[in-house]
Amino acid sequence: MKRNQRGHAMIELAVCAAVMVSCLAGTFQFGYTFYIYNQLVTAVGNGGRYAAMRTYRAAGDVDLEKGRAAIRNMVVYGDARPSGQAPVVANLRPDQVYVEWVKDKAGAPTAVHVEIRNYPVNAVFKTVSLDGRPGVEFPFVGRYAPAEREP
Amino acid sequence: MAGNRRGFVLIAMSVTMLLLLAVMGLAFDVGRIYIARNEAQVFTDAAAMTAAQKLDGTKAGLERAKEAVAHVPMRWNLGTQEFRGIIVEFSADGRKWETEPRDPPSVTAVRVTAPDNSVEITFLRAVGGPNNFVVPAHAAAMANPVRLTE
Repeated sequence: MKRNQRGHAMIELAVCAAVMVSCLAGTFQFGYTFYIYNQLVTAVGNGGRYAAMRTYRAAGDVDLEKGRAAIRNMVVYGDARPSGQAPVVANLRPDQVYVEWVKDKAGAPTAVHVEIRNYPVNAVFKTVSLDGRPGVEFPFVGRYAPAEREP
Repeated sequence: MAGNRRGFVLIAMSVTMLLLLAVMGLAFDVGRIYIARNEAQVFTDAAAMTAAQKLDGTKAGLERAKEAVAHVPMRWNLGTQEFRGIIVEFSADGRKWETEPRDPPSVTAVRVTAPDNSVEITFLRAVGGPNNFVVPAHAAAMANPVRLTE
Protein backbone atom coordinates (compact mmCIF):
# COMPACT_ATOMS: atom_id res chain seq x y z
CA MET A 1 0.00 0.00 0.00
CA LYS A 2 2.80 2.43 0.95
CA ARG A 3 4.65 1.60 -2.26
CA ASN A 4 1.49 2.35 -4.24
CA GLN A 5 1.13 5.67 -2.48
CA ARG A 6 4.72 6.57 -3.23
CA GLY A 7 4.00 5.98 -6.93
CA HIS A 8 0.87 8.08 -6.74
CA ALA A 9 2.75 10.95 -5.21
CA MET A 10 5.28 10.89 -8.05
CA ILE A 11 2.57 10.90 -10.68
CA GLU A 12 0.71 13.70 -8.88
CA LEU A 13 3.93 15.69 -8.60
CA ALA A 14 4.66 15.17 -12.29
CA VAL A 15 1.18 16.28 -13.38
CA CYS A 16 1.07 19.24 -10.97
CA ALA A 17 4.61 20.32 -11.84
CA ALA A 18 3.83 20.23 -15.57
CA VAL A 19 0.74 22.40 -15.08
CA MET A 20 2.48 24.84 -12.76
CA VAL A 21 5.68 25.18 -14.74
CA SER A 22 3.72 25.90 -17.92
CA CYS A 23 1.53 28.42 -16.04
CA LEU A 24 4.58 30.15 -14.56
CA ALA A 25 6.36 30.14 -17.92
CA GLY A 26 3.32 31.72 -19.56
CA THR A 27 3.02 34.24 -16.74
CA PHE A 28 6.66 35.23 -17.12
CA GLN A 29 6.35 35.46 -20.88
CA PHE A 30 3.28 37.71 -20.83
CA GLY A 31 4.53 39.72 -17.88
CA TYR A 32 7.91 40.44 -19.47
CA THR A 33 6.39 41.21 -22.89
CA PHE A 34 3.91 43.64 -21.31
CA TYR A 35 6.69 45.23 -19.27
CA ILE A 36 8.76 45.86 -22.40
CA TYR A 37 5.70 47.05 -24.35
CA ASN A 38 4.90 49.54 -21.59
CA GLN A 39 8.46 50.86 -21.69
CA LEU A 40 8.20 51.22 -25.48
CA VAL A 41 4.92 53.18 -25.17
CA THR A 42 6.68 55.60 -22.82
CA ALA A 43 9.72 55.82 -25.11
CA VAL A 44 7.77 56.55 -28.32
CA GLY A 45 5.55 58.99 -26.38
CA ASN A 46 8.61 60.94 -25.24
CA GLY A 47 10.16 60.75 -28.71
CA GLY A 48 6.90 61.86 -30.35
CA ARG A 49 6.56 64.84 -28.01
CA TYR A 50 10.16 65.85 -28.76
CA ALA A 51 9.61 65.41 -32.53
CA ALA A 52 6.46 67.56 -32.36
CA MET A 53 8.33 70.48 -30.83
CA ARG A 54 11.64 70.16 -32.65
CA THR A 55 12.51 72.64 -35.42
CA TYR A 56 11.96 71.10 -38.85
CA ARG A 57 15.06 71.87 -40.92
CA ALA A 58 14.98 70.61 -44.50
CA ALA A 59 17.67 72.39 -46.53
CA GLY A 60 18.80 68.97 -47.76
CA ASP A 61 18.28 65.25 -47.26
CA VAL A 62 21.23 65.23 -44.85
CA ASP A 63 19.43 67.71 -42.58
CA LEU A 64 16.22 65.67 -42.63
CA GLU A 65 18.20 62.55 -41.77
CA LYS A 66 19.95 64.36 -38.90
CA GLY A 67 16.53 65.39 -37.58
CA ARG A 68 15.31 61.81 -37.80
CA ALA A 69 18.44 60.58 -36.04
CA ALA A 70 17.89 63.03 -33.16
CA ILE A 71 14.28 61.85 -32.76
CA ARG A 72 15.36 58.19 -32.90
CA ASN A 73 18.00 58.88 -30.26
CA MET A 74 15.37 60.55 -28.07
CA VAL A 75 13.23 57.40 -28.29
CA VAL A 76 16.08 54.95 -27.71
CA TYR A 77 18.31 56.82 -25.23
CA GLY A 78 15.99 59.55 -23.91
CA ASP A 79 18.52 62.04 -25.27
CA ALA A 80 18.79 63.58 -28.76
CA ARG A 81 22.59 63.60 -28.48
CA PRO A 82 23.49 60.52 -26.46
CA SER A 83 26.91 60.19 -24.90
CA GLY A 84 27.30 56.49 -24.43
CA GLN A 85 24.26 55.79 -22.25
CA ALA A 86 22.31 52.52 -22.37
CA PRO A 87 19.00 52.32 -24.26
CA VAL A 88 15.90 52.98 -22.15
CA VAL A 89 14.43 49.67 -23.41
CA ALA A 90 16.58 46.53 -23.52
CA ASN A 91 18.32 46.00 -26.89
CA LEU A 92 16.37 48.76 -28.67
CA ARG A 93 18.37 50.30 -31.53
CA PRO A 94 17.78 53.60 -33.37
CA ASP A 95 17.21 51.77 -36.69
CA GLN A 96 14.15 50.09 -35.12
CA VAL A 97 12.44 53.46 -34.70
CA TYR A 98 10.46 54.72 -37.69
CA VAL A 99 9.99 58.49 -37.98
CA GLU A 100 7.95 60.22 -40.66
CA TRP A 101 6.32 63.63 -40.97
CA VAL A 102 2.78 64.02 -42.24
CA LYS A 103 2.87 66.99 -44.62
CA ASP A 104 0.35 69.35 -46.18
CA LYS A 105 0.16 70.11 -49.92
CA ALA A 106 2.87 72.75 -49.61
CA GLY A 107 5.24 70.24 -48.00
CA ALA A 108 5.09 71.73 -44.51
CA PRO A 109 4.83 69.19 -41.68
CA THR A 110 1.46 69.02 -39.91
CA ALA A 111 2.17 66.00 -37.71
CA VAL A 112 4.94 63.56 -36.93
CA HIS A 113 4.54 59.81 -36.70
CA VAL A 114 6.88 57.69 -34.58
CA GLU A 115 6.63 53.92 -34.24
CA ILE A 116 8.63 50.83 -33.39
CA ARG A 117 9.48 48.40 -36.19
CA ASN A 118 10.94 44.89 -36.05
CA TYR A 119 11.73 44.89 -32.36
CA PRO A 120 11.97 41.36 -30.95
CA VAL A 121 10.92 40.86 -27.32
CA ASN A 122 12.92 37.88 -26.13
CA ALA A 123 10.81 36.42 -23.32
CA VAL A 124 13.01 33.27 -23.02
CA PHE A 125 10.22 30.79 -23.90
CA LYS A 126 9.09 32.66 -26.99
CA THR A 127 10.18 35.70 -28.96
CA VAL A 128 7.48 38.18 -29.96
CA SER A 129 8.23 40.67 -32.71
CA LEU A 130 6.71 44.13 -32.42
CA ASP A 131 6.26 45.74 -35.82
CA GLY A 132 4.31 48.99 -36.16
CA ARG A 133 3.36 48.95 -32.48
CA PRO A 134 3.51 50.91 -30.31
CA GLY A 135 3.20 54.04 -32.42
CA VAL A 136 2.23 57.66 -31.81
CA GLU A 137 1.26 60.65 -33.91
CA PHE A 138 1.76 64.13 -32.49
CA PRO A 139 0.81 67.40 -34.21
CA PHE A 140 3.81 69.37 -35.43
CA VAL A 141 4.02 72.49 -33.30
CA GLY A 142 7.70 73.27 -33.80
CA ARG A 143 9.35 75.91 -35.95
CA TYR A 144 9.19 75.27 -39.71
CA ALA A 145 12.54 76.20 -41.24
CA PRO A 146 12.77 74.49 -44.65
CA ALA A 147 15.84 76.47 -45.73
CA GLU A 148 17.88 75.97 -42.55
CA ARG A 149 20.61 73.40 -42.07
CA GLU A 150 20.96 71.17 -39.00
CA PRO A 151 23.83 72.33 -36.76
CA MET B 1 -4.05 7.85 8.46
CA ALA B 2 -4.33 6.84 4.81
CA GLY B 3 -7.97 7.95 4.84
CA ASN B 4 -6.91 11.33 6.20
CA ARG B 5 -4.32 11.75 3.49
CA ARG B 6 -6.77 11.04 0.70
CA GLY B 7 -7.87 14.35 -0.81
CA PHE B 8 -4.92 16.31 0.55
CA VAL B 9 -3.37 16.80 -2.87
CA LEU B 10 -6.69 18.04 -4.22
CA ILE B 11 -6.95 20.68 -1.49
CA ALA B 12 -3.29 21.65 -1.80
CA MET B 13 -3.63 21.88 -5.57
CA SER B 14 -6.78 24.03 -5.28
CA VAL B 15 -5.09 26.48 -2.92
CA THR B 16 -1.99 26.57 -5.10
CA MET B 17 -4.05 27.12 -8.24
CA LEU B 18 -5.79 30.07 -6.59
CA LEU B 19 -2.43 31.57 -5.67
CA LEU B 20 -1.18 30.86 -9.16
CA LEU B 21 -4.22 32.59 -10.67
CA ALA B 22 -3.54 35.60 -8.47
CA VAL B 23 0.09 35.71 -9.64
CA MET B 24 -0.99 35.30 -13.27
CA GLY B 25 -3.55 38.05 -12.72
CA LEU B 26 -0.88 40.34 -11.34
CA ALA B 27 1.34 39.76 -14.36
CA PHE B 28 -1.33 39.66 -17.09
CA ASP B 29 -4.17 41.92 -15.91
CA VAL B 30 -2.16 44.51 -14.00
CA GLY B 31 0.35 44.57 -16.88
CA ARG B 32 -2.46 45.37 -19.33
CA ILE B 33 -3.90 48.00 -16.99
CA TYR B 34 -0.54 49.80 -16.81
CA ILE B 35 -0.14 49.66 -20.60
CA ALA B 36 -3.69 50.99 -21.14
CA ARG B 37 -3.04 53.82 -18.69
CA ASN B 38 0.21 54.71 -20.47
CA GLU B 39 -1.37 54.50 -23.93
CA ALA B 40 -4.29 56.69 -22.82
CA GLN B 41 -1.92 59.26 -21.32
CA VAL B 42 0.20 59.47 -24.49
CA PHE B 43 -3.00 59.76 -26.56
CA THR B 44 -4.44 62.58 -24.45
CA ASP B 45 -1.08 64.41 -24.56
CA ALA B 46 -1.08 64.26 -28.36
CA ALA B 47 -4.79 65.06 -28.64
CA ALA B 48 -4.52 68.09 -26.33
CA MET B 49 -1.60 69.44 -28.36
CA THR B 50 -3.53 68.84 -31.58
CA ALA B 51 -6.60 70.65 -30.25
CA ALA B 52 -4.59 73.56 -28.82
CA GLN B 53 -3.04 74.08 -32.24
CA LYS B 54 -6.49 74.72 -33.75
CA LEU B 55 -7.53 77.41 -31.27
CA ASP B 56 -7.76 80.77 -33.01
CA GLY B 57 -10.23 82.69 -30.87
CA THR B 58 -13.27 81.76 -32.96
CA LYS B 59 -16.14 79.32 -32.48
CA ALA B 60 -15.07 77.61 -35.70
CA GLY B 61 -11.63 77.11 -34.13
CA LEU B 62 -13.21 75.29 -31.20
CA GLU B 63 -15.09 73.02 -33.61
CA ARG B 64 -11.89 72.37 -35.57
CA ALA B 65 -10.18 71.44 -32.30
CA LYS B 66 -12.89 68.86 -31.50
CA GLU B 67 -12.75 67.54 -35.05
CA ALA B 68 -8.95 67.21 -34.91
CA VAL B 69 -9.11 65.25 -31.65
CA ALA B 70 -11.59 62.82 -33.20
CA HIS B 71 -9.05 62.13 -35.96
CA VAL B 72 -5.92 61.52 -33.87
CA PRO B 73 -4.92 58.08 -35.21
CA MET B 74 -3.86 56.48 -31.95
CA ARG B 75 -5.25 53.33 -30.33
CA TRP B 76 -5.12 51.62 -26.99
CA ASN B 77 -5.32 48.07 -25.59
CA LEU B 78 -1.98 47.12 -27.14
CA GLY B 79 -2.75 49.36 -30.10
CA THR B 80 -5.91 47.49 -31.13
CA GLN B 81 -8.88 49.63 -29.97
CA GLU B 82 -10.01 53.14 -30.83
CA PHE B 83 -10.52 55.64 -28.03
CA ARG B 84 -14.20 56.37 -27.47
CA GLY B 85 -16.20 58.96 -25.57
CA ILE B 86 -13.42 61.55 -25.76
CA ILE B 87 -14.27 64.78 -23.91
CA VAL B 88 -12.78 68.05 -25.16
CA GLU B 89 -13.07 71.02 -22.80
CA PHE B 90 -11.89 74.59 -23.09
CA SER B 91 -10.83 77.15 -20.55
CA ALA B 92 -9.85 80.79 -20.33
CA ASP B 93 -7.97 80.54 -17.05
CA GLY B 94 -7.07 76.85 -16.64
CA ARG B 95 -9.53 76.45 -13.73
CA LYS B 96 -13.04 76.45 -15.15
CA TRP B 97 -13.49 74.01 -18.03
CA GLU B 98 -16.44 74.01 -20.47
CA THR B 99 -17.31 71.88 -23.47
CA GLU B 100 -19.14 74.79 -25.14
CA PRO B 101 -17.49 78.03 -24.00
CA ARG B 102 -19.64 81.17 -24.40
CA ASP B 103 -16.70 83.42 -25.13
CA PRO B 104 -14.40 81.72 -27.72
CA PRO B 105 -11.89 84.62 -27.95
CA SER B 106 -11.03 84.18 -24.27
CA VAL B 107 -10.15 80.48 -24.62
CA THR B 108 -6.43 79.84 -24.06
CA ALA B 109 -6.32 76.19 -23.01
CA VAL B 110 -7.84 72.88 -23.95
CA ARG B 111 -8.20 69.71 -21.93
CA VAL B 112 -8.77 66.26 -23.43
CA THR B 113 -10.12 63.39 -21.35
CA ALA B 114 -10.27 59.75 -22.41
CA PRO B 115 -12.70 58.44 -19.77
CA ASP B 116 -13.89 55.05 -21.01
CA ASN B 117 -10.83 52.83 -21.40
CA SER B 118 -12.17 49.72 -19.75
CA VAL B 119 -9.66 46.89 -19.50
CA GLU B 120 -11.33 43.48 -19.29
CA ILE B 121 -9.92 41.52 -16.37
CA THR B 122 -9.09 37.89 -17.23
CA PHE B 123 -7.45 36.17 -14.25
CA LEU B 124 -7.93 38.40 -11.22
CA ARG B 125 -11.72 38.05 -11.43
CA ALA B 126 -11.30 34.36 -10.56
CA VAL B 127 -9.87 35.40 -7.20
CA GLY B 128 -12.41 38.10 -6.43
CA GLY B 129 -11.22 40.89 -8.71
CA PRO B 130 -13.52 43.11 -10.79
CA ASN B 131 -14.71 42.21 -14.30
CA ASN B 132 -13.41 45.46 -15.75
CA PHE B 133 -11.01 48.17 -14.71
CA VAL B 134 -11.39 51.66 -16.13
CA VAL B 135 -8.21 53.66 -16.72
CA PRO B 136 -9.11 57.25 -17.55
CA ALA B 137 -6.52 59.82 -18.59
CA HIS B 138 -6.49 63.51 -19.27
CA ALA B 139 -4.08 66.16 -20.49
CA ALA B 140 -4.25 69.91 -21.00
CA ALA B 141 -2.39 72.13 -23.45
CA MET B 142 -2.09 75.87 -23.98
CA ALA B 143 -2.86 77.60 -27.28
CA ASN B 144 0.49 79.43 -27.26
CA PRO B 145 3.01 77.22 -25.48
CA VAL B 146 6.43 78.45 -24.43
CA ARG B 147 9.04 77.09 -26.84
CA LEU B 148 11.66 75.11 -24.94
CA THR B 149 12.98 72.82 -27.70
CA GLU B 150 15.16 73.94 -30.61
